[in-house]
Amino acid sequence: MSDSNHSSKVTIEDLLHLKRAERPAADFWTDFERELRQKQLAALLEKRPWWQDLPQLFARRAYLPVGATAILAFTLVSVKYSTLPAPVARMDGAAEASHSVAVIHSNESLAARAATAPASSPLVNRREAPAVEAGEHTLVRSGDSPAFTKTDEHTPVVAATVSAETPSARSIAANFARMEQSEPELFNAVLGSRLSSRARVQPAAGPVLELASLSNNASRRSRLLARYDEHAPSPELTAPEPVRERLSRRLGDAEAGERFNRIGLKGDQDSLGLTLRL
Amino acid sequence: MNLSKVFTKAIITSPERQLEADADFSVVKQVQAGDVAAFDRLILKYRERLYGVVYNLTANREDASDLTQDAFIKAFQSINRFQGHCSFFTWLYRIAVNTTLSHLRKNRLRTFFSLEKLHEDGTNAQILEQLTDKRGADRDTYLRELQEKLNEALQKLSIQHRTVITLFEIDGLSHSEIAEVMGCSEGTVRSRLHYAKQFLQGEMSKYLGS
Repeated sequence: MSDSNHSSKVTIEDLLHLKRAERPAADFWTDFERELRQKQLAALLEKRPWWQDLPQLFARRAYLPVGATAILAFTLVSVKYSTLPAPVARMDGAAEASHSVAVIHSNESLAARAATAPASSPLVNRREAPAVEAGEHTLVRSGDSPAFTKTDEHTPVVAATVSAETPSARSIAANFARMEQSEPELFNAVLGSRLSSRARVQPAAGPVLELASLSNNASRRSRLLARYDEHAPSPELTAPEPVRERLSRRLGDAEAGERFNRIGLKGDQDSLGLTLRL
Repeated sequence: MNLSKVFTKAIITSPERQLEADADFSVVKQVQAGDVAAFDRLILKYRERLYGVVYNLTANREDASDLTQDAFIKAFQSINRFQGHCSFFTWLYRIAVNTTLSHLRKNRLRTFFSLEKLHEDGTNAQILEQLTDKRGADRDTYLRELQEKLNEALQKLSIQHRTVITLFEIDGLSHSEIAEVMGCSEGTVRSRLHYAKQFLQGEMSKYLGS
């Protein structure tokens, strides 16, 4: 009876408040702290997988527009520069870049140079003659390989691109034009009016071309002489006996023919005598 | 957390809670700056409250110990993500509650009580006096039986209802704080609280006055 009187005053909230009195003893916290320390050290040493850092990475929204803008700018710049033509790629190879390159721009100067050079002169590169006569821009390289002097259908495009996009050529031409406009008297006195500004921009093309053809011809001549020395007939030293007799007989015939021609020119007696000798 | 929630919380929190949150945030900044030992102060401050929540949810002291440690480890690992939008206490509670709920869902079928001893002190002496006038061994047996029945009734509740009534009646959190910890509205909290009380009253009617 007394129990029911006491419990009649107790509510569910009072019972739940009793749960606050369920507390661990003091030694429990000692073990708790030790275990927590061990787990904390293990967590520090443990390498977290990369995907757990992704939310943290995406949480930094402030960096996203900056990064996106940078990537976009880089893409635009790379696309822009990748569409430009690359003159070097049209050449025969990067390894051949050590050869000196001369670009001939002016058809008139080439034709004049070809006309002033004698036809039998070794300075004239005969393989370039058709290109010069056709008025094409020709890329000439010093070297022995025929590939360098060969003119193909792509060469004028390459030469024109190189000459048009050379910054030094453009700046020199601009300086000449500016000087010609500002001080024409001084310009004529110093440089004269023989050459146009366009031709003066490329003064190295002519001498380089001549040097290239000279080196071509000199090397070709030395090659031919060496080959001739190797195959020159020497019947006295190396030929066997039947060959030597045949050669001497041929030489004798040639000598007789020569005499016959000479005697025939002089008169009939000698030709009769010659007939008697044969 | 959106800005409206932060603003609402700034209005409703008491000055004492706000001072406590500011003090906690300064300690968190020290930890974020590399002072790992400063985190021990936060552990010492909140370990008993956190353990109490987890224990009342699981009714198992060993599981509660492990889960509380796990919650502290998770908080330590994620301390750089804490930016002070809510109080550290709320953030730590959320980690602990989520860890515990995940554990309870995994071990739904396993229910094993491992209860702490009921400490009698000034706050609960009057309630205990009202419950029983027995002395000696009989009183201890009666209290033990009451404790087991209460935990049994709590474990019959769903996880969500158990969490709400534990946070409100035992830990003394407000409706808004519970809503923030659990990620639901205050109306949902009130509804769950009302249902949980009704259920417990029915289960514990033997020990309550009609």
